[in-house]
Amino acid sequence: MVRTIASKEIALQLKDKSVIFWLFVLPIVFIVIFASIFNASGTTSYTVPYYDADGSGQSQQLVGILEGIDGFELETDAERPLQEQLSQISEGRQTMLLVIPEGFGERMMSGEQAEVQLHRDATQDAAVGPVLGVLEGVAGRYQEEKLRAVMTEYVPGEAVEGLLAAPVTVNDIREQATENDPIAQIVPGYTVMFVFFAMISMITRFLKDRSSGMLSRLQGTTMKPRQYLMGMWIPHILIVFIQSAALLTFGRVVYGLQLGNLLALSVIVLALAICVTGLGLMLSMVVGSENMGLGLVQIIALGGAILGGLWFPFEMLPAFVQTMGQFTPQYWAQQGLQDVLLRGAGVGDIWPNLLILLGCGTVGLALAVTAFPRFARKAAA
Amino acid sequence: MSYVLEVERVVKTYGQTQALKEASLKVREGTCFGLLGPNGAGKSTMMKMITGILQPDRGTIRVFGQENRKPMDAIRSQIGYVPQEITLHDELSANQNLKFLGQTQGVRGAELQQRLSEGLAQVGLSDRAKDTVGSYSGGMKRRVNLLGALLHQPKLVILDEPTVGIDPQSRNLIFEMIKELRGRGTTIIYSTHYMEEVEALCDDVAIIDHGQVIAQDSLHGLLDQHATQAVYVEAEGLEQAPELASVSEVTAKGRGWVLQSAEPLSVMQQLTTLLVGKGSRVRALELMHPSLESVFLKLTGTQLRDG
Repeated sequence: MVRTIASKEIALQLKDKSVIFWLFVLPIVFIVIFASIFNASGTTSYTVPYYDADGSGQSQQLVGILEGIDGFELETDAERPLQEQLSQISEGRQTMLLVIPEGFGERMMSGEQAEVQLHRDATQDAAVGPVLGVLEGVAGRYQEEKLRAVMTEYVPGEAVEGLLAAPVTVNDIREQATENDPIAQIVPGYTVMFVFFAMISMITRFLKDRSSGMLSRLQGTTMKPRQYLMGMWIPHILIVFIQSAALLTFGRVVYGLQLGNLLALSVIVLALAICVTGLGLMLSMVVGSENMGLGLVQIIALGGAILGGLWFPFEMLPAFVQTMGQFTPQYWAQQGLQDVLLRGAGVGDIWPNLLILLGCGTVGLALAVTAFPRFARKAAA
Repeated sequence: MSYVLEVERVVKTYGQTQALKEASLKVREGTCFGLLGPNGAGKSTMMKMITGILQPDRGTIRVFGQENRKPMDAIRSQIGYVPQEITLHDELSANQNLKFLGQTQGVRGAELQQRLSEGLAQVGLSDRAKDTVGSYSGGMKRRVNLLGALLHQPKLVILDEPTVGIDPQSRNLIFEMIKELRGRGTTIIYSTHYMEEVEALCDDVAIIDHGQVIAQDSLHGLLDQHATQAVYVEAEGLEQAPELASVSEVTAKGRGWVLQSAEPLSVMQQLTTLLVGKGSRVRALELMHPSLESVFLKLTGTQLRDG
């Protein structure tokens, strides 16, 4: 009986073109778009417009230093008056303008404190932040050079370098991880997010069976409730498993994503499939209508995506979001997947993730079994 | 006498609405039993309780001598239930739908394939078997819906309004199938609000209204007991209903009048005298067959089609 219902369910899913769109096409579109954005961001240089009102050798030297920094490009439009360029910022049509004021070179030569001005759109902090950081770094280098010049008069050269050396240095050592590129965040992230949308098709199928009279008709046969639930559940586990496998394979083929231990990957994907479909089964039993189901799935899928670190690396999220995120299955799925993909984890390393995902699925299944008699009574009435 | 179904004083309530009020029925083996009543009378509730889909609040239902309060596979495997709704998947072909329905009743493999082919031929859909059901007409869907309940060759077939909204060709095919089933000794319970269907198909009839079974007998027994005899007259110059002795009720019908009476021959004699006396040209003067319509009218005080 379970096989009969499952076969019919698979046949129905294969006939439904929208399932292909929701499960495969849309996630791939999202992965491609976000991978393009974040991959490109790794090589993007900041273009900083500047206005050199001084025109001295010192101001040109400063421009030269800034242009020499990786990821920075300077451009100037000397023909346009300064005021016009500044008004572009206040009108929101330009993000920033670095101004080297008149007298900059003279003040430098006389040993006085010289200033450069960074005019910026106050609403664009995120875009201007890195530029500000670089400018402060360059100012620090000027200070260092000034100190070196003074100290060289009184202290031997080697000792100067020792005195100017930073008391603490940071050595960046990477362990147990392949290169952490955005793809290793985006592909598993969007895979996990979109598998939760499979709950929509589960809800639709159950409610359709109820409203069409099919469930009522089946209740008149020798079919047992558990057979019906299993028959409806198993195909969706398979679908979610295939969906996840297809999206991860897409990441591997198109972006060279390292898949790590394939056994561990299969097990975590299966646990995710059981979790999602178990919760989907429970939702199908309790929602009053398809619209209500659609709303709840969106809250679960998108809310979990934000909290669980599917859109951004979990470590970048605020502390309170990280705390909440640990109560979402998405977090455990994403962490488990990244452990396998990035750190080469095996099944033994991700057992807490597996346990939590399977636990969620089991709770969903248990609640669905409990709620089924009420669901079936509504079908019969 | 052997009864396939015995329903005793069954009560079923949905919230504030009492769908069945101490309803009782008995269905003889091998007969076609008509359950006649308007929409909302409680027919579908009764059907679902017989199949075990719904449980009664009170009362007992025995199918093949066994109480079906608990789900009993032995009983259910002998019942073929055709719900009022068309419970087919539009996206699948008739073949796929029927395979699924057959398998849920425990028929598989070559046996299922053979019954399916024979059944599709019987309902005139062999050449459309691989088409999706979504492309079928309402009548074609109804035929497949019925066939899906017969693949396991049940001893008791329950049909809940199987001809609602269908074309005459499909209706005739369904009637043929029902007659063939009855010919093979299958017991049929046929729910409908079409009196002519009951008159054409059923041996025994129960009339149900507002959740109560108000009469049950053989078709002939009901007509003999409750149908009022009537005379139909249509003549020139008979614009007013004639007032005659022993006529209990006069109703207009077409261009003439229906006169109900316990003494129809006396009424015909009076009408002949009256019309001859007036010199009217008589277009029709006939004794009407007793009908379930008049039985229903007499028992409930309403026309069945009033709903």
